Amino acid sequence: MEALQLKQVVKQYGEKTAVNGISLKVEQGEIYGLLGANGAGKTTTMRMVLGLIYPDEGSILYNGKPYSKELQHLMGYLPEERGLYPKVKVSDQIIYLAQLRGMSASEADKSLKYWLERFDVPEYYNKKIEELSKGNQQKMGFVAAVVHKPKILILDEAFSGLDPVNVELLKDTVREMRDLGTSILFSTHRMEHVEELCRNITILDRSNTVVQGDIREIKKGYPREEVVLRTAGEVNGLAELAGVTGVQRQERGYVLTINDLGAAQRILQLAVAQGEVEHFEIKEPTLNQIFIRAVGESNE
Amino acid sequence: MNKMATIIGFTFKNKVRTKSFMITTLILVLLLSIGMNIPYLIKVFNGEDGTKDATQIGVVAEQGFRPAELLLAYTPPAEAEDKVVFTAYPSAEDAALKQGLEDEKIEGYLTFAAEGSEGVPPVTYHSKDGEIDSELKTNLQAALQQVNTGLIVGDKLTESQVAAIFAPVSIDTAQLSTDGAVGSADQDQSKPIINYVIVYILLILFFMSVMMTGNMISAEITSEKSSRIMEILITSASPLTQMFGKVIGIFLVGLMQIAIISAAIAVNLMLPHNSTILSDFDLNLGQLNVSMIVYGFILYILGYFLYALMYAAVGSIVSRTEDLGQAVMPVMMLGFVSFYLPLFSISNPDTLLVKVASFVPFTSSLSLLLRIGVGEVAFWEIMVSLAILLATTFLFGWLAAKIYRTGVLMYGKRPSIKEIRKAMKAYKI
Repeated sequence: MEALQLKQVVKQYGEKTAVNGISLKVEQGEIYGLLGANGAGKTTTMRMVLGLIYPDEGSILYNGKPYSKELQHLMGYLPEERGLYPKVKVSDQIIYLAQLRGMSASEADKSLKYWLERFDVPEYYNKKIEELSKGNQQKMGFVAAVVHKPKILILDEAFSGLDPVNVELLKDTVREMRDLGTSILFSTHRMEHVEELCRNITILDRSNTVVQGDIREIKKGYPREEVVLRTAGEVNGLAELAGVTGVQRQERGYVLTINDLGAAQRILQLAVAQGEVEHFEIKEPTLNQIFIRAVGESNE
Repeated sequence: MNKMATIIGFTFKNKVRTKSFMITTLILVLLLSIGMNIPYLIKVFNGEDGTKDATQIGVVAEQGFRPAELLLAYTPPAEAEDKVVFTAYPSAEDAALKQGLEDEKIEGYLTFAAEGSEGVPPVTYHSKDGEIDSELKTNLQAALQQVNTGLIVGDKLTESQVAAIFAPVSIDTAQLSTDGAVGSADQDQSKPIINYVIVYILLILFFMSVMMTGNMISAEITSEKSSRIMEILITSASPLTQMFGKVIGIFLVGLMQIAIISAAIAVNLMLPHNSTILSDFDLNLGQLNVSMIVYGFILYILGYFLYALMYAAVGSIVSRTEDLGQAVMPVMMLGFVSFYLPLFSISNPDTLLVKVASFVPFTSSLSLLLRIGVGEVAFWEIMVSLAILLATTFLFGWLAAKIYRTGVLMYGKRPSIKEIRKAMKAYKI
């Protein structure tokens, strides 16, 4: 049974439709990516999952059951604007938030200390949030979201504003939580994170679902249009081949765009005929390209 | 319930530890201590014996001038606090008079106009700055009035008759007993002064406490909303639990402040040099009406919750702290009305206005306190007023929770009443 399932969920603000019929399933121990430009409806969807706002149509099921109070203890949430008290000590407020989510104070304290050690910042225990840098405040926000060991974790733009070292640290933690069985709903507009972490994604564009499914399946659905070729010498006549739409000469080879897969074979044959081929690759489209195409197409 | 306790504890702990709370409380205690020691300080500055020196006034008149002679013979009444001593000088140019004025031993001197038809001729008071303070003027008038009577009456009346003329006429008041009033047993007696003092103190204390803590609540909620921690809170505990947790937490903060201030008053009263203050002002703690304090406490709690809930509702609608001041204005206005109405009616607590106000829930807590303390109020009136207040507080508790649940997720411009109403229907508390 799915840990989390959305069925044809619609949310309207006045005249404006914020989310238009989104459906998705998150398995237990899965990281699900919710992508979209700003204002596409990601945050609204997450808020509905959290029970902050109610959908106008459709339903949201948690382990097959509708929303209930018990879920408050099972969910963790990192909002886009890091929700913490600026003037309160890290330990005080994180233990407080954990207690509100049904943990005992001593358990919460132990868990907090574990996470601070994990992030290598045990000295933050007695610091106020306003004394920390923005990136570190965000780490504390993440700790606040996971300190009570949630079963469903909702991360809204979790990695924005972090340096690469901290992004890696957080990614590792997210993977670790997934392996422990936490279902994670994850929103971002950084495609490389999604490709590394998620199995399934949904791309939203202005309230509508435009692309959905397993990342590999999605990629297969998009034509492979890019060929990378590296050779010892020059290759002549590439631009004249049938099916080749563009040739870009680079420092150590060529990047070609094609409009049918047969052209790739013709390129390889031509290159082999003229000299030694060091590298030949028919590239999968990146998620970035898919996103731009999907969002671009729906805009036309 | 467990969560509620957690929220109460967190709110209380964090508010009490803020610098602003500590400083405000400290300043209040300091001001109060200074205020209560002012009578003592005045005594110290006015010399050890605690009485003022008699005011020296010169009287410039020729020898044998009858009004002047009578004035010199005037003895102020024994109970008068500021005594005037008259000394005769033959002329305004007299060296002793000049020296006295120069040394400020003599405040000023009097001259008489040419003799009028009857009684004391017009008198002129001469002083360095050409002014006369009102106390001295009263004293001089009293003295001259007596001289005037003496002049006109002459020897026709005996001394005791003259004294009887000047004895103040006493007016006593008595309460008519009516059939309907079953009220308190001490209706025939006028309320002891201590009641006025206590009502006065309670009015100020309660008003200040409610306003300060109310503002704390709305500021706290708005800042939670603007820092988006609200989104985490709402998904962790029900809005009703949260709001009441906060309101009760801050209530305890207010209570603690009142306790500290009361303790400061008590300590100051017990200082040895202040031991005579109560008796000086004719106050007797034994006359203190305990039921008044109990009612006061009940009214404070109910009044506090009503206002706190209104503040909480307002705080949840506003998204930014900068907009809060404007939004709480209506609630503050209501608070001012509820405070100034009984304050200005303290000497006249049985007007229709106060009676009406003591049944209107927003003003009843303080107006009813006034009536219980120094006015006339029947037991059933207290009960009806309390019932109305209690019912309104519950109604507002429900309403505020609804607004809170709705408001905390509304960002951007301040929502209109219509929008709030529409959204309120959507959420369960």
